[in-house]
Amino acid sequence: MSASHTRQRRDRLDPVLKVAFPVWVVATVVIVLFPIYLIFLVSFAPGSALFGDRPPLVITDFTLQWWDRVLEGGELIPPLVKSLTVATVTTALAILIAAPAAYVISRLRPAVAYTIVLALLVTRMFPEFTIGISVATWFASFGLIDTYVGLVLAHLIGSLPFIAWILVGTFETVPRDLEEAAQIDGASRLGTLIRVVFPLAAPGIAVASLFVWLYSWNEFLYARLLTTNQNTLPLQVFQAIDRGTLQQMATVAAVLTLPILLVVYFLQRYLRPGALTGAVKG
Amino acid sequence: MPGHGTTIDGAFQSGTSARSRLGRWFRAHQFEIWLTLPLVAYVLALTVTPIINTFRLSLTDPQQGGLTLDNYGRIFEGAVFRSAVVNTVIVAAMSLILELGLGLIIALTLHAAFRGRGFVRTITLVPLGVPTIVAGAVMLLIFARAGYLNSIIFLIQDLVNLLPGVDWQYQPISLTVAGGIPTLFTVAIADTWKVLPIVVLIFLAGLQSIPEDIYEAADMDGATKWQRFTRVTFPLLIPYMTMAIILRAIDAFRIYELALVLAGGVEPVLGTYIFDRYLPPTSDEYTAASASIVLFAIIMIFVILYLRFVAPRGRSGG
Repeated sequence: MSASHTRQRRDRLDPVLKVAFPVWVVATVVIVLFPIYLIFLVSFAPGSALFGDRPPLVITDFTLQWWDRVLEGGELIPPLVKSLTVATVTTALAILIAAPAAYVISRLRPAVAYTIVLALLVTRMFPEFTIGISVATWFASFGLIDTYVGLVLAHLIGSLPFIAWILVGTFETVPRDLEEAAQIDGASRLGTLIRVVFPLAAPGIAVASLFVWLYSWNEFLYARLLTTNQNTLPLQVFQAIDRGTLQQMATVAAVLTLPILLVVYFLQRYLRPGALTGAVKG
Repeated sequence: MPGHGTTIDGAFQSGTSARSRLGRWFRAHQFEIWLTLPLVAYVLALTVTPIINTFRLSLTDPQQGGLTLDNYGRIFEGAVFRSAVVNTVIVAAMSLILELGLGLIIALTLHAAFRGRGFVRTITLVPLGVPTIVAGAVMLLIFARAGYLNSIIFLIQDLVNLLPGVDWQYQPISLTVAGGIPTLFTVAIADTWKVLPIVVLIFLAGLQSIPEDIYEAADMDGATKWQRFTRVTFPLLIPYMTMAIILRAIDAFRIYELALVLAGGVEPVLGTYIFDRYLPPTSDEYTAASASIVLFAIIMIFVILYLRFVAPRGRSGG
């Protein structure tokens, strides 16, 4: 009789798990998905559906009126353009600033590299408020409130330490032998970096970019500090919460969430458990 | 790439003055310096300087401009600030307990082998992509008076009342405006739903790091499943738990969007308090700065106390 066989016969937890496990798995899936289902449900619900104590969990009379109103009302397109532009420019600049530095850090002695990465991450321990209050006061005096530039500069504050941390881990996986070989062949150091190192690190850089893009697309705190009337999409959701109907709120929320669900679906194979801890140990 | 050690040693041996040694170091590392300069400059200008400036603001007298502790005195006198501090700690504690408990259970679930595991894993990652403000909006749909939580409880009421002799009349509740712990609880639930994927990923990394032969040894000794968990899995997960607690605590104390949406009118937290001070009509950046420093202090105190007292004890206990 094998050891595992004896264990199974003795284990009183087994019958409990046999019943509870599938129930638990199904419950988890339902609870995780329910809020997302609600966003879309409410955005298609007729105005009368949300009155009374018992809003219906399924609706039969769909209406597109909220989507029509939000898409045509001009309250969606300007915030959408602002959010898209700011997220994309922030991502491009974050890579441009952080990638070269991350390469240098990755080539330092491990103890030094670790200290620098840790110092960068310590800046994340300060609440955004502590940084944001001063930044917003300065930007107000430079006329950067309600500008794309101001928001991009603010979003870089949150992105740079994070992306540098991820990219140091990426560059560490690029073998140094290849660089030396390129230099023996007469390539300059900058040429080696651009033609050998960066292409090899491209998948890691792509994933890091997506994280930065997501951060900027979702960011609310700096956006609120630096905006008076030119809303981003998250601010538009808040405005709908503050003084719109529930359906308007749900519709803008759905617009904000849709691209994200696609990005996360694409990203999920990179969200391996090791991805988060690997760089810390490195 | 020149080794740093050799260059610096070389400069020492030649016995040149400190200034030309520095110059030589700069010339030898020109390439590295140019590559790092933008990041270093950015972090110094727009992270380190603002932090120092906010410290300075928090200690500045708004009228005379001299150094003072009055800003701190003024906020601590206010009842709103004191309840904001208490609420922040309560929300953070509730969130941390929910997130670590559920995160561990879900990670254990996903670590077990079952059909459809890949699908379930993808589903549990989905909230990671949902913007925080949307998580707040949707929890408002659930917890408001005409909300879906009440709808579900009414459904259960109808089912229960089908039993003979049972007559239960459910009174709908409105958690988001109830105030006190119930309202703060909705904030913690919303935060838990949103960040659970991160906690699950950290615990999964921990579970995957435990070598299989430890379990085989435990089986040989006739350990039950429960013993396997309490004697092997849990002690070996403690470093990952520390990481999850620190990472989550840093964020849990500075909760803002969810508290603004779900508890905004009823229960202040430090995040919403700071904004109320800073934004018009109050427009007082001095007390806003002081409150943000208090928030930073709370985070630091928690992290230091945790690393100093709780984490080492856990390690020796396991």
